[in-house]
Amino acid sequence: MKKAIPILFITLLLGKQSFAQETFPRNDVRDLRGGAYAFTNATVYTNSYIKIENAVLLIRNGKIEKVGAGLAVPAGYTEVNLKGKFVYPSFIDLHTNYGLPKLEAAAGGGGFSGAEQIQTKTKGPYNANQAIKSEYNASSEFTVDSKTAEKFRASGFGTVLTFRADGLARGTSAIVTLGEERDNVVVLKDKAAAHLSFNRGSSRQSYPVSQMGYVAVLRQTYLDADWYSKQNSKPFKDLSLEGWTATQSLPQIFEANGWLNDLRADKIGDEFGKQYIIRGGGDEYQRINEVKATNAPLIIPVSFPEAFDVDDPIDADRVSLTDMKHWEMAPANPGILEKAGIEFAITSDRLKDKADLLKSVRKAIEYGLSETAALKALTETPAKLVNIQNKVGSLSAGLEANFIICSGSLFEEATVINENWVQGKRFPIKEVDNTDLTGKYNLTVDSKSYSLEVSGKAGEYKFKVKITDSLSVDAKSKIERDLVSLSFNSTKEKKNDLVRLSGWRQGTSWKGNGELASGKEVDWKAEFAASLDKKDEKKEAKKDKPTIGDVIYPFTAFGSKEKVKAEELLIKNATVWTNEKEGILKNTDVLIKDGKISAIGNNLTTAGKTIDASGKHLTAGIVDEHTHIALSAINDAATNSSMVRTEDVIDSQDADIYRALAGGVVAAQALHGSANPIGGHSSIIKLKWGAAPDEFKIKGADKFIKFALGENVKRSGNPQSVRFPQTRMGVEQVYVDAFTNAIEYERKWNAYTALAPKDKATATAPRRDLVDETMLEIVRGKRFVTCHSYVQSEINMMMKVAERFNFKINSFTHILEGYKLADQMKAHGVAAGTFSDWWNYKWEVHYAIPYNAAILNKEGVLTAINSDDANIGRRLNQEAAKTMKYGDVSEEDALKFVTLNPAKILHLDSQMGSIKVGKSADVVLWTGHPLSVYTKADKTIIEGGVYFDLDKDKILRNELEKERARLINKMIDSKKAGAPTQKGQSKQQEEMHCEERGLEETNFEN
Amino acid sequence: MKALLKYFLLLLIVSKLHAQTPYPAEPQQKPVLITGATIHVGNGQVLVNGAIAFDAGKLTYVGSASGAPADKTKYDVIDATGKQVYPGFILPNSQVGLEEVSSIRATIDFDETGEFNPNVRSLISYNTDSEMIPAFRFNGILMAEVAPVGGVIAGTSSIMQMEGWNWEDAAHTKDVAIHLNWPGTLKAKFDFDTFTRTFEANPDYPKNIEEINVFFNDALHYSKLVGKEVNLKMEAMQGLFSGAQTLIIHADLAKEIVDAIKFAQAHGVKKIALLADDQALKVVSFLKENNIPVILAPVHRVPSKDDDAVDLPYELPSLMVKAGIMISLSHDGMLGLSRNLPFYAGTAVAYGLEKEEALKAMTLNTATILGIEKKTGSLEVGKDATLFISAGDALDYNGNKLSDAFIVGKRVILNSKQQELYDRYSKKYGHKK
Repeated sequence: MKKAIPILFITLLLGKQSFAQETFPRNDVRDLRGGAYAFTNATVYTNSYIKIENAVLLIRNGKIEKVGAGLAVPAGYTEVNLKGKFVYPSFIDLHTNYGLPKLEAAAGGGGFSGAEQIQTKTKGPYNANQAIKSEYNASSEFTVDSKTAEKFRASGFGTVLTFRADGLARGTSAIVTLGEERDNVVVLKDKAAAHLSFNRGSSRQSYPVSQMGYVAVLRQTYLDADWYSKQNSKPFKDLSLEGWTATQSLPQIFEANGWLNDLRADKIGDEFGKQYIIRGGGDEYQRINEVKATNAPLIIPVSFPEAFDVDDPIDADRVSLTDMKHWEMAPANPGILEKAGIEFAITSDRLKDKADLLKSVRKAIEYGLSETAALKALTETPAKLVNIQNKVGSLSAGLEANFIICSGSLFEEATVINENWVQGKRFPIKEVDNTDLTGKYNLTVDSKSYSLEVSGKAGEYKFKVKITDSLSVDAKSKIERDLVSLSFNSTKEKKNDLVRLSGWRQGTSWKGNGELASGKEVDWKAEFAASLDKKDEKKEAKKDKPTIGDVIYPFTAFGSKEKVKAEELLIKNATVWTNEKEGILKNTDVLIKDGKISAIGNNLTTAGKTIDASGKHLTAGIVDEHTHIALSAINDAATNSSMVRTEDVIDSQDADIYRALAGGVVAAQALHGSANPIGGHSSIIKLKWGAAPDEFKIKGADKFIKFALGENVKRSGNPQSVRFPQTRMGVEQVYVDAFTNAIEYERKWNAYTALAPKDKATATAPRRDLVDETMLEIVRGKRFVTCHSYVQSEINMMMKVAERFNFKINSFTHILEGYKLADQMKAHGVAAGTFSDWWNYKWEVHYAIPYNAAILNKEGVLTAINSDDANIGRRLNQEAAKTMKYGDVSEEDALKFVTLNPAKILHLDSQMGSIKVGKSADVVLWTGHPLSVYTKADKTIIEGGVYFDLDKDKILRNELEKERARLINKMIDSKKAGAPTQKGQSKQQEEMHCEERGLEETNFEN
Repeated sequence: MKALLKYFLLLLIVSKLHAQTPYPAEPQQKPVLITGATIHVGNGQVLVNGAIAFDAGKLTYVGSASGAPADKTKYDVIDATGKQVYPGFILPNSQVGLEEVSSIRATIDFDETGEFNPNVRSLISYNTDSEMIPAFRFNGILMAEVAPVGGVIAGTSSIMQMEGWNWEDAAHTKDVAIHLNWPGTLKAKFDFDTFTRTFEANPDYPKNIEEINVFFNDALHYSKLVGKEVNLKMEAMQGLFSGAQTLIIHADLAKEIVDAIKFAQAHGVKKIALLADDQALKVVSFLKENNIPVILAPVHRVPSKDDDAVDLPYELPSLMVKAGIMISLSHDGMLGLSRNLPFYAGTAVAYGLEKEEALKAMTLNTATILGIEKKTGSLEVGKDATLFISAGDALDYNGNKLSDAFIVGKRVILNSKQQELYDRYSKKYGHKK
């Protein structure tokens, strides 16, 4: 073994000698050869749109010297005749981890189970958050990886951007070629771009653990880095922040992986004046306008999903419309991006096999991408995005000699890449001799004559030997360069008659030696006689652009092509529950116009649509004061998570939105979970099914935040928890501490702001802290608290803490022991949003009673009934009705529990919550008495737009069925045609709510 | 004197309320006659202005008020004019009495270790002092099939009454069914980053079935085996082969349902019931041909798939009944919410099920599935006097208000801790009720 080492070493050196740097020691005489080549007669694309026929491309010392038509071949240059070949700049992949060490997979969910990891585990003076790794440079660990390089080269790549996919801030990437020189030569650019993501990577620190937290950590890091960089004398050393600051001028590449996260990422960039390059997910066509509005250039995968195996109808049932439609439409994504004028690069990332790249891109072309745009997305655009257009991405003098030689026009189906040249070095990929061998030959073996027909094309020729007029046999053949071997049966019986021939090509003929079945050695020859009848060859018809279905909003079942629009509606003859002093009005008309309630009365008329509501009841729309639907994540795990915001993770695709609409819900507070005493910001939303996430938010709504008390926040469900607080005593201290800090924070800022301009110039501003800012908003009455609570002691405590800091708790949610201190709550002025009959799923709800709402209401506490979970959220009218059973609440009051009262709690009652002229037309028409189990929501109207309609629902179901059937048939056809399939499997987003199953959403056990 | 004693007894009960669950009922002393009510018999029949009489726990008269026994002095007469009488609702597949506070392990008594536990019997754990019990009967649930949970064969269930001094006392019918959790053809995988669950084929499915196969096969042959040692597990299975017990199969997906039922049939199980959700609809003709009744997952739930109609869980009971399947309604999830069973029936009515059919799904059908239909499940002469009087429609929120309830003729106390706390705090604030 010892001896093998120097041999290996020499081999390595030999491979890397041609452009070795002067600084490296030699182990031989100097051997620089210059690598001067002239490629002639090719069709050269110097970039995506300039094509030169019969071009000459000169390269020397690994660089392009000249390219053009009619150039002379300088003396001493090796001429490579590329007649019939096409030359392109080689491709650039901006999403790779090429040449970097493999990351170890991080174990466990983190944050919620086991002992929490409060502090970072990174050793050294790095960031407080383990997911911030902006000090890292990929070049520090990069080394050539021949095996992987070969794969990239085979699919046409010459250059890649490589980064370490670990953390929210991942440090910088390097641009490297796919050559096999020394690392020093291969690395074209160090610190090429800075990388960000929504993936905490190997960190298992207990914050952040959610999409909301990822956003918050990145926002805070922007602030911290800015503050840190301005400190003349650093209060502590943070190499991550230093790395962050140092890399801000680089291109910032954000891995978002899908339109929803694309938009979320872009919003962070907007806040801090950054335009990210966004690594998308290939589903951008689903919200193309919103994606376009980000102005972000994209890096997109072309890994189009395989069809699902839907032969079995029961199995097919589990494949969702979303997944089926995505299968159909994903190949159209690049073309749709092009049409929308979005700049994008294509990555090979996520392809099962990189060798499929061209196949995938060709598919995208078939689905509407232009060839020019395809080439651009593989070459110029990636080069431009990371500022290496002066090195690679096109073919012009001075650039790296990175190009591919193809057998034909790149995007033709038959075209293969013959060679991939990296920095002037040739890497053969697929040698194909294009000499046409087809034709009719006269074959003579020994003295016998046959006729031989060769059909097909290079690489897959078919040989047929005509023995007699009535007998033709297929011959086995093998062609390697100029060598050929053939074997065939020479009689009808196919017994002891095998003729085996081996020979070589000479001009248009073949000759050689053979052996007959008898063992007799013979000579043979095959002389070209005539070309094949051209008529026999079927010219492949140009493929038509495939037809695909429509984009629907949202891109899921019950989405529609058209977004909902406000209508003028006259609801005639309804029983109208006004929630005002008028009470319940029978046989009354309500006119809805311009999104508002414009008239209430009798014999109203309209130019719009009239709805006969005889026998039906009209009420204000249901407002769910406590929900977790329409969110992609609901819990982060820091004790004080007030820096996170549910509005960052609104999920407009959540099927529960439509289900809630079907239950008459028009608006909701989408809350953070209850894993921590201080949770995140709430989103006050209207359920505008079909709209983009940001359109869900109610403009101008007051700001809210979730607090939580009791067993969840003291981690009673996790015996290994070490997180402060573990008791209700500790919970109180969390609040007192947070508010005390906030006031101190305010004092510091006030002092800074009050400085005279002269003093300010020399002072540095205090550090901005998203936690303190939120806490201060609360103390100063600019943000309102909804507090998850159960037992009377903690409810009392929360009010006392608020009073100590001179503000009021806005509302208690859950509040199942509210009935025990209704008088104190009334005195504090806090509202209650409770459950109708949840009980005894934890110790702290042992004394919960279904009379809670009735008692609170009677005592004069503003009371609402809310859902917390998606199931109850679609029957809130019925939840309210339970208070008539438990506590004999009047029907009008019961309805107010889910309409006017929650609107008041959310400070929305000036615009909704009752049927009153001028208020927003957020109303529900019910098939009967709104508090009866037998009643359904007939129409759910938001701002005059009908978002749910029993009749339209039937139509949507019908459309859904048809669309599914169409797609299933298409998948079956595609399978029949030989396309690969995947097993039917459905993805399912977990239902999330605070309670029932132990603690937060992470606990799924029954 | 007797009246005074009664008064003291009542006082005792009331004052004990806050500390204890209500006093168990005394056996029926005197015949009871309820008159003037609308009687929902539970078999589909409704008697307007009816009367009902019972003695020693058994129904002696069910019919028109005019035909009721004339000599009213023999009876404690309840004038229920304008009110509704229903058979006590039966809650199948419940853990009432076996679980108190779900987050506290010490209060959970339904999941034995091991995979094959037919010998484990739910009634042993049944806690008659559970606070769930009075809360359930407050809404009309007077009996439950109390079943163990977990493993492949969870154990043997019994019909328990929502009252009693101890489990023997509360047991209506012992050991009625064995619960089989059929393995899944799919395996769920959870991704924390996207918060989604993906499903892939369970490679162990054939192996899982083989284990069940061996167990059932051994059990089937056990009775005839000569020279055997007594085996508690095998003994516990015998009721399935004689038809004395029902095999309740919990199966998720359509194909698993067919696999499981065919398996049970092939192994000589006489009485089979299925516990499933809308997947049962996919193989409804199979269920119909094989005469398999179905205990349905909670009506109040979220559809399991994005592509499902929003009201599929609501409409499922009606769709099943239209397809000719006998159904029963059940609950799972938060145990305390089982008390909403009547409203599950109400919702099923809103979505197409006939009202008395919906009632059957909580009474006679459930009794039939569990093999107790000869004794209870409907208001017919000779059957148990397990019934209640409600001010209105017991399937709707504002109608489900019980004034009287009887379990086998015993008048049960309806109020409990929850009502006592309501009283106590109403008093604190001076609220008039």
